[in-house]
Amino acid sequence: MSATVKAMRHVRGFDAVRPLSIGMMIIIMLPLVLLPLASIFIFGTNKGMGSFWAALSAPEAIFALKLSIVTSFWATVFNVLFGLLAAYVLSRYMFWGRTALIVTISLPTAIPTAVAGFALLLLWGKYGMIGQYLSEDHQIMFTPYAIILANIFVTFPLAFGVLMSVFETMSRSLEEASATIGATRWQTFWYVTLPSLRGALVTGALLTFARAIGEFGSTILVSGNLAMRTQTAPLYIFAKFNEGQVEAANAVAIVLALFSFVIFSILFFTRDWLDAD
Amino acid sequence: MQTEEFTKIFGSEENGAKAEAERVPAAASVRGVSKSFKGTTVLEDIDFDVSEGESLVLLGASGSGKTTILRIIAGLDEPDTGRVILHGKDVSELPARERNVGVIFQNYALFPRMTVEANISYGLRIRGRSRKEIREEVERLIELVGLKEHHKKYPSQLSGGQQQRVAIARTLAYKPQVLLFDEPFGALDAQIRVRLRREIHALLKKVNVPAIFITHDQEEALEMGDRIAVLNAGRIEQIGTPHEVYNKPETEFVATFLGAANLLLGVVAGRNVSIGSVMIPCDEEVAQFQDGQSVKIVFRPEDVCLSRTGEMPAGARRLVNGVVEEISFVGAYERLSVRLDFSARQPAPNEPPLYSVAANASEQRLGVPIIVTRPKSEASGMPLNSGDVVAVGLTSLRALPNFTLASERAGRIVAARK
Repeated sequence: MSATVKAMRHVRGFDAVRPLSIGMMIIIMLPLVLLPLASIFIFGTNKGMGSFWAALSAPEAIFALKLSIVTSFWATVFNVLFGLLAAYVLSRYMFWGRTALIVTISLPTAIPTAVAGFALLLLWGKYGMIGQYLSEDHQIMFTPYAIILANIFVTFPLAFGVLMSVFETMSRSLEEASATIGATRWQTFWYVTLPSLRGALVTGALLTFARAIGEFGSTILVSGNLAMRTQTAPLYIFAKFNEGQVEAANAVAIVLALFSFVIFSILFFTRDWLDAD
Repeated sequence: MQTEEFTKIFGSEENGAKAEAERVPAAASVRGVSKSFKGTTVLEDIDFDVSEGESLVLLGASGSGKTTILRIIAGLDEPDTGRVILHGKDVSELPARERNVGVIFQNYALFPRMTVEANISYGLRIRGRSRKEIREEVERLIELVGLKEHHKKYPSQLSGGQQQRVAIARTLAYKPQVLLFDEPFGALDAQIRVRLRREIHALLKKVNVPAIFITHDQEEALEMGDRIAVLNAGRIEQIGTPHEVYNKPETEFVATFLGAANLLLGVVAGRNVSIGSVMIPCDEEVAQFQDGQSVKIVFRPEDVCLSRTGEMPAGARRLVNGVVEEISFVGAYERLSVRLDFSARQPAPNEPPLYSVAANASEQRLGVPIIVTRPKSEASGMPLNSGDVVAVGLTSLRALPNFTLASERAGRIVAARK
């Protein structure tokens, strides 16, 4: 990018503004973004890789990471499928209340996660609106299912938003061409619409997963933070830090940070492939 | 001579088509289709047939409703009233996918994630044909449209013309009842356009599938169409062979939309039309009009002959005298603007043929300006300069009713059709 944009020259000879401005930008970024990230890795590995592995292979840590991945995975599956359905319906049909629905679906973006968790408790909790009708054995709150519910709620608009924008810019004539050629709606969707959504589906899924795996505010309320039962990775970091076991917290933090690096890299470096049409 | 050839070719073809239409149902018929959108009438009582192997061009300006007709035939839009009949079968209630028509969209609508081969075979694949059959058919079609070396490419790697050929092959694969082309050359530049429309014309004759074209380009319409339907504001103004529509326009809109036309206001007087003090003998042209009816005389710039002596070539009718105002050279021909003097009288028998012209004086621009074109040979044979006085004659003309009100005009058209 920077190679293609030639800076305008205002001065003759050496332009002092250029190194100064670049330097200033890095100096501001350093304590705000770069150093905190670096410190996780420096602190986590300064006692040697051995203690890092030991901290990471503690059963509680492994359980927390697994639980995070599994709950995020199911939340992602649900939200991508639902986002696909919602975006298809809302972009293809005009009906009364359509705009209200779009706003409602997008609303969770703006709601604080602690509020979201609290709201779920009020609905599904033992004395909640729905929860009071569930038997003692089928209570959802403070189980892994509650974590999935919280993840779904918080990441609800992500896949939908990505898919919706693709649906809205997609040319209708492709689907119309497919119909005149003789395809059923399902064939048109499978052979024509879905391939054009390839990029949006991958992007939406990665965004949802990345957001869900780091979810803290809503999860801590609905899960109860029970070690080896409902403790996700971010909750584990919080709990271990409170107990003073900084190394244990740090090891899991490194894994989570690496996770987001990987997801972000995929999004960043496959951008051309994902956007290609 | 060229006109005679035209008449011969198109005349015989039209007769053949008529005889055929009596025996077998038309390949595609649109019957009394009307549609309005949000209170505005888009189409009004559209009615036409396309016979087997014929190309019909729907010609009209943007907003004339031509694309809507196409979408209604394809089943992509629903008409308010009227029927669509394909090979004798009423398909009005069928969804697009059951109509078996081929649509070539303006942007071609090729599937971007499929290769040329996959695009062409799409119709066969969703019909569940055997692999062997699909392979043979695709091979034949790729050969037919001349894209042999591109069969593994994706649409984005092809030029506009190649994409269009893929789009045509994709529809031909499932043997459609009728091909519908939506502004097929709109997205291409002028030079490719001319070449492509000849290619497609030849291709259509080869595969013998009836086709309906949509265009706003009159030259394209004249070249592509066995017949042309001229659309204006949701109504068909005239439908006929290119020869008929060009040389015998039935309405002022048709006359002016298809090529340039000069219009003169006159009044029917017996077997003549009087314009100012000039009487033009119009025997058959005014047969349908009453004495004293207001008419418009319509003639093409190339139907005008100019003469310095007052002598007209055989078959040309003497109009009046005029003054050459402006001459411009436009490549293949010369275009002149001539101001006609209708206040003068016809010359008496022994008067010199080029009497003085009142419209000549620059301070009193009386007279009516007309546009005249002359081929190169004529222009160099008798060079003219601005200010020259010439005798003006017409080799052919049309008299059209002069409707003063749009409603009157609309009423006449409906009455004439029913």
